[in-house]
Amino acid sequence: MTALEAPVLAPPRTFSERVMRVVNKAPVHIALALVALVWLLPTVGLLITSVRPRSEIQASGWWTVFGGNIDFTIANYQAVLDQQNMLSAFINSVSIVVPSTILPLLIASMAAYGFAWVKFPFRETLFLGVIAMLLIPAQMTFIPLSQLIRETGTGGSFLPIWLIHTAFALPFGIFLLRNFFITLPKDLIEAARIDGAGNVDIFRRIVIPLSVPALASYAIFQFLWTWNDLLMALVFAPRDGQPMTVQITKLLGTYASEWYLLAAASFLVMVVPLIVFFSLQRFFVQGLLAGSVK
Amino acid sequence: MSDASVAAKPLERGSGMPKMTDGVSWTASLFVAPAVILLGIFLLYPTISTIILSFENGLDNYIRLFTRDPNFFDVRSFPPTGAFWNNVLWVIFYTGGCVFFGLLIAVMAARVRYEAFIKAIVFLPQAIAATALGVIWRFVYFQQPKTGLLNAGLGVFNIDPIAWLGSATWVNTSLIVAGIWGSVGFATVILSAALKGISTEILEAARVDGARESQIFWRILVPMLSLPISVVAVTLIINVVKLFDLIFVMTKGGPGSSSRTIAFTMYQEALASRNFDYGAAVAVVMLVVLLPVMIYNVRRFRAEKVVQ
Amino acid sequence: MTRFRMVAPIAVLALMLTACPASTTSNSPGASGGAGSSGASGATIEVTSLWGGAEAEAFQAVLDAFTADTGINVTYTSQRDEYSTVLSNRIEQGDPPDVAIIPGIGFLRSFAKDDLLIPLADLGLDTSALADAYAPNLSDMGVSVGTVNDVPLAIMVKLNSKSTIWYDPSRFSENGWETPSDWDGLVALTDQIKSDGATPWALGASDSWTLTDWFESIYLRQAGEEAYDTLFSADGDWTDQSVKDAIATMTEILNDDNVAGGIDGALATAFVDGIGLVFSTDPTAEMYYEGGFVGGIATGDVNDALVSGETIDFFDFPEIDGSGSKITVGGDVMAAFTNEPGVAEFMQYLASADAGKAWVAGGTIISPMAGVESGDYPEAVQKEATQIVESDLARFDGSDLLPGGPDLGTVLQTAIQDPGAVDGALSDFQTQVDDAWAELNG
Repeated sequence: MTALEAPVLAPPRTFSERVMRVVNKAPVHIALALVALVWLLPTVGLLITSVRPRSEIQASGWWTVFGGNIDFTIANYQAVLDQQNMLSAFINSVSIVVPSTILPLLIASMAAYGFAWVKFPFRETLFLGVIAMLLIPAQMTFIPLSQLIRETGTGGSFLPIWLIHTAFALPFGIFLLRNFFITLPKDLIEAARIDGAGNVDIFRRIVIPLSVPALASYAIFQFLWTWNDLLMALVFAPRDGQPMTVQITKLLGTYASEWYLLAAASFLVMVVPLIVFFSLQRFFVQGLLAGSVK
Repeated sequence: MSDASVAAKPLERGSGMPKMTDGVSWTASLFVAPAVILLGIFLLYPTISTIILSFENGLDNYIRLFTRDPNFFDVRSFPPTGAFWNNVLWVIFYTGGCVFFGLLIAVMAARVRYEAFIKAIVFLPQAIAATALGVIWRFVYFQQPKTGLLNAGLGVFNIDPIAWLGSATWVNTSLIVAGIWGSVGFATVILSAALKGISTEILEAARVDGARESQIFWRILVPMLSLPISVVAVTLIINVVKLFDLIFVMTKGGPGSSSRTIAFTMYQEALASRNFDYGAAVAVVMLVVLLPVMIYNVRRFRAEKVVQ
Repeated sequence: MTRFRMVAPIAVLALMLTACPASTTSNSPGASGGAGSSGASGATIEVTSLWGGAEAEAFQAVLDAFTADTGINVTYTSQRDEYSTVLSNRIEQGDPPDVAIIPGIGFLRSFAKDDLLIPLADLGLDTSALADAYAPNLSDMGVSVGTVNDVPLAIMVKLNSKSTIWYDPSRFSENGWETPSDWDGLVALTDQIKSDGATPWALGASDSWTLTDWFESIYLRQAGEEAYDTLFSADGDWTDQSVKDAIATMTEILNDDNVAGGIDGALATAFVDGIGLVFSTDPTAEMYYEGGFVGGIATGDVNDALVSGETIDFFDFPEIDGSGSKITVGGDVMAAFTNEPGVAEFMQYLASADAGKAWVAGGTIISPMAGVESGDYPEAVQKEATQIVESDLARFDGSDLLPGGPDLGTVLQTAIQDPGAVDGALSDFQTQVDDAWAELNG
């Protein structure tokens, strides 16, 4: 577990406790209130805008609701869901994201186990290769992969975007999970080996159950990454399978900037990540720390 | 998000390695094979193929990019302009801004009881799509003070409304501010965790010696946090080189070409205009820019192994 | 790394083998078909364009009429944003539509260069007969605009005037403003509106094509059609004085004093939002120049209280120095990516007066086909149709003829923002456009 826990090494007399006594905190409170304001206002503004009537959005700012200009409606959401295909875009998002999260979870954890606990030729070379691939920009692959999709006849299906999302998630996943797996107690695994357990058994019965927090972090990252992705979906999603992010950009398109629809649609695309974020915040932050700071 | 920048846990040395008591190594390759195959098909092969494509006309695509395409690279005036230089601006100000505000917020939040609340608020944008973030900020940047939050706020101080996204002077600043807003949470969370690892004795001693808070911040905290700061910075720089969504949603590279980035240029050339070999050259430039980071990561991984 | 090289080709093969059954769309051109009249009855073809809303409904009427006539079903796919990217991706990824409208002749050429289009002759269509189907003053445009390297690939199926300046007649008469007939009159009107305390112009210049339309309208009238034709060909000289003169003329009107929100504001305003500045319930400007389609969008999407002829109307983009009634038009061409059964019949049908009549009834387009009469149009667009038919001379939207990549609109955005930078921007553009022509033709 140690790798995923925030490195809280401070003794009971923490830095913050010390400071509390020393500093007059009023300026800090004011500054932090300002920070909270700056980070909340734009999002709150979007939320309020999304429930205001179209004509009001054009005529006045969302903050006028605090001056008594209260006229709320759910018509924007209805319009987005009914006319703008946002409901089917939601289903498309799910159709893209679920396999694109499960596949890399499976494949990366297997590979991470291989890199952590089994010896085989070229292991280190391969692992260095994986680290190097962390940085390959998606743009490097657009042209050849389009060609590959054409040659394999998979254009117009979900298969390409599932596999491409999966492949791009692997370097980070292998890295994160391998670093977690090697911290598992060596004795446990060697004891299992002596008892005659094979790699498959060790992987399934010992490594996976002990690694749930790390796997959860990775799954959440991958889920959010693919849910929020625009670029890959623009290029590789099938024409009748475009997710919500792409659908939103259409509202920004040439023939209209429909702000009342945009506000509602943007809020809809944010809902799922916000739920994930608030309910699984712990794993999310742990994963971030494990991926970034030793 | 932070798909890169990673301080590696060292590999176990040979002696610590479990003995291969249970048979041949091909079973092991089965664990790694699916990943290796997918990476080979979807990352390695396309990368090599794109590099080859970019040299279709010898060096001409690169010469054109750096000498005849002012939308990409223009050094005839100062400051230089073009997508490449916009990315340089982003690297300096977005990275610097995120680290500075991230550290500042982390330090301030550590002094109050509602630390978790502040960090959660600042971190929130990390969870939402850049697409939605772009829309949020377009609402903030509306030119009409009656609907645009920022210009309405400036109006209170009698400042004339500014076309934040329409003015070539302001557009990159406006985008970078939106970008910082979105990423400060990442820096805050990481640096806040690192901050808690600093021994209070050192800070205490500094105070006893009469150091002011600003001195403690710049002379003690910043140097002591140099490793996590560099990790955060590297992650953000990688984000910047790949930056696309925010530009696409907020300005489509405009007005003119004044807010294009390298990644946006690649999309524009290769996908929207079907100049595939030219777009390939842009992608290779992205890769080359990231190469030092790639080498740094691999080196660090190796070095840590040797230290063991 | 050696591992990867060994594994990759095998893996590609494996993927191909497993993935092939997943393919749903047949994409081999020339599988069967041809222009047999009723042989394709019961077939289904897919047509894609970027029209949505009212424009899509009007087009759907054409498709329905076609299906009723021939028994061939048509699936219509609308892609309003990033159309060219999505279309290009679909084709690159082996999932092309059967027929697509192609936005821009430069884009058509890039497909032609990669041999992705089925030439009209290969579809079994008689191209000279097709050319005769067009209205007389458009007949040299109908097929020739879609001809690349002497191979006819696409037909122009609809067009709009790009010589219409939109205004609110009720506000004009209230204030005693008169619509002008020449450029000097337009400048005088602009000054008059300004001195009456109103903002003369709205401009939606964050969509840079609105600026190219301004430029083309001025250039055609000021420099003449021969210069126009040369400029938008591979021989064009963008550093020529005539180009700078046209931009200077353009900035007589498009400058900070005349445009709502100033130039910076206009550059952050999208095309439709610019319409809103003149025609919303809370207007802040008096005139908006863009194509004939503005009327439909204004009444349909911006403000449904507008009444054609009373609160929304257009006057002709005025002549410059006695140029006569020359107009620019924006047209869409359609081309085939497959030769599936039904494709040839569909293309043939689109080039007919029947299709034109079915289409214009929706009130969003003008048909280039002979035999579509003024009376076939809803009242609101009759005026535009008449303008096109009665013009002395029509030219195709020039920026649509340029190769993809370098964007004239971007240069013009720079030009109105910083007129001092025009010369440099134009010579840069010349370099880029030369490269793009070379790439296309070489």
